[in-house]
Amino acid sequence: MGLKRIRYLLFVGMVLFLPSAQVWAELVVVVNARSGVAVMSRNEVINIFFGRNRQFFNGIEAQPVDLVDSHPDRGRFYSALVGKDLADINAYWSRQVFSGRLQSPPKMRTSEEALKWIVSQPGGIGFIELAKADARVRVVYELQH
Amino acid sequence: MASGNNSKPGLIHRVFSCLAGALLIGLAQHSFADDEPAFMLQGFGTLGAARTTSNEVEFVRDLSQPRGARQNWDARVDSILGVQANWRVNPQLEAVVQVVSRYRYDRTFTPEFSWAYLKYEPSPNLSLRAGRLGTEFFMMADSRLVGYSFLTVRPPGDFFWSLPFYNIDGADAALTVPIGDHLLRGKLFYGISNGQIALAQKQWNIDGSVMAGGYIDYQAGAWLFRASYANLRFKHDLPIEDVLQSYLPQPLAMQAAAYLATGNTRSHYYSLGAIYDSGPWQLQLMLNHCDQGSNAFESSDAGYVLAGYRIASVTPFVGYSWASSEARENALNPVVATIMADAHVDQKTTIVGARWDLLSNIALKAQWDGIRGEPTSIFPYRQERAGWSGKMDVFSLTMDFVF
Repeated sequence: MGLKRIRYLLFVGMVLFLPSAQVWAELVVVVNARSGVAVMSRNEVINIFFGRNRQFFNGIEAQPVDLVDSHPDRGRFYSALVGKDLADINAYWSRQVFSGRLQSPPKMRTSEEALKWIVSQPGGIGFIELAKADARVRVVYELQH
Repeated sequence: MASGNNSKPGLIHRVFSCLAGALLIGLAQHSFADDEPAFMLQGFGTLGAARTTSNEVEFVRDLSQPRGARQNWDARVDSILGVQANWRVNPQLEAVVQVVSRYRYDRTFTPEFSWAYLKYEPSPNLSLRAGRLGTEFFMMADSRLVGYSFLTVRPPGDFFWSLPFYNIDGADAALTVPIGDHLLRGKLFYGISNGQIALAQKQWNIDGSVMAGGYIDYQAGAWLFRASYANLRFKHDLPIEDVLQSYLPQPLAMQAAAYLATGNTRSHYYSLGAIYDSGPWQLQLMLNHCDQGSNAFESSDAGYVLAGYRIASVTPFVGYSWASSEARENALNPVVATIMADAHVDQKTTIVGARWDLLSNIALKAQWDGIRGEPTSIFPYRQERAGWSGKMDVFSLTMDFVF
């Protein structure tokens, strides 16, 4: 009961005190504008973010960047992309790491840091709110909710 | 007679010491690098307890374990601790060492190097590795020891207990090729198997056995398909000489030893698998066939299906697995026939359980395995007794973690 009330209060608080654009902001996948990548399919995005494919179609090495678990965009991103909870995503990465296949993408604390990474790597790719996408990046995929 | 560890452990030891040394130097030099961490130390483990409803056999995770669980709770079957160090020397080159402690062939938890290799990636989708590598029998990952990374308490027994081959000293190459937005991935490996398989009071040395194979994966959205092949040429014979000597007169014992020889015989392993992983659903299907070259073993077929559905932090799962082997028609004499009967399996298992993701790096699991087999199905077990009915239930509880 208590938890429900707290959630309700939090919700009301968010709606009242935060610009609504931030609460419901649309998440998009962006790449470094100089990567030569214009558009991606959902499967292509999944393959890159799960480390299965590490190259874009033009041969440039894909360098995905992730966010820390506590960042709300992380949960929203994976839930919209593959319908999975973060525990599933983390289990996937421990499977990769402990079978010597892959290291997980670096995790940034904020979207700003992620954006910095994306524009500093030729094959940088990450997910941010649409409103934060500037001329240095290109939106290649919009997440359906 | 399988001779002991005389297949130059010195060299292998030196190679690992060098790798470990290189990693430590890497730690000293690179741990304060500003960008990505070049050195990473991670670990995994399982605290587990299992019990069965039978005292007639002992239940083991696979044939690498000499003793197993009976009617009393037993922590040896599933408990594991592993530590892994990754050192990224440069963007193309990585060194990895993994040490694992688990209940093994000699009834100890002596830590072992499960991996120690260098990985070189000349291009992002091509990876070349050399050193001590994991064998990839499990489609979900090439380690079957990281409980946190899979749904069930342990990879389904009927499929995996006959595959106690965890690593090779050798090399592998893997290439990924995008086809539209699907992916084709191929891998080839070649190496020398190392390890011991527990056998009654003894150990069968599989050191020096050459193992080679490969697989092809096709990833189509949420579906992953795999076809794989491997073959193993055993170097040593089973340690059964003294059994033969004590039950058979000398000429017959020699004849029997030749008949049951495993040295220089080949086993072929074929497997097909499909995984569907989307949203809350996880479905797995795997089939395998083993063709055994030695009279001491029986060719076998096995498979499993598994389905899990996540509801909040709990994922209940159900599965069904089976394994059966084909008894050879001819045996030289009753003693040989008894030894050959040891290699028989004929059973089916129903699996029901749940995984609860308690914290972001800790999962609790509870599982029931209902094993329904023939009394002749004894290959998967240890210490079988006359009253074995082929049927028992296995209850398992584990806490899996990564750090």
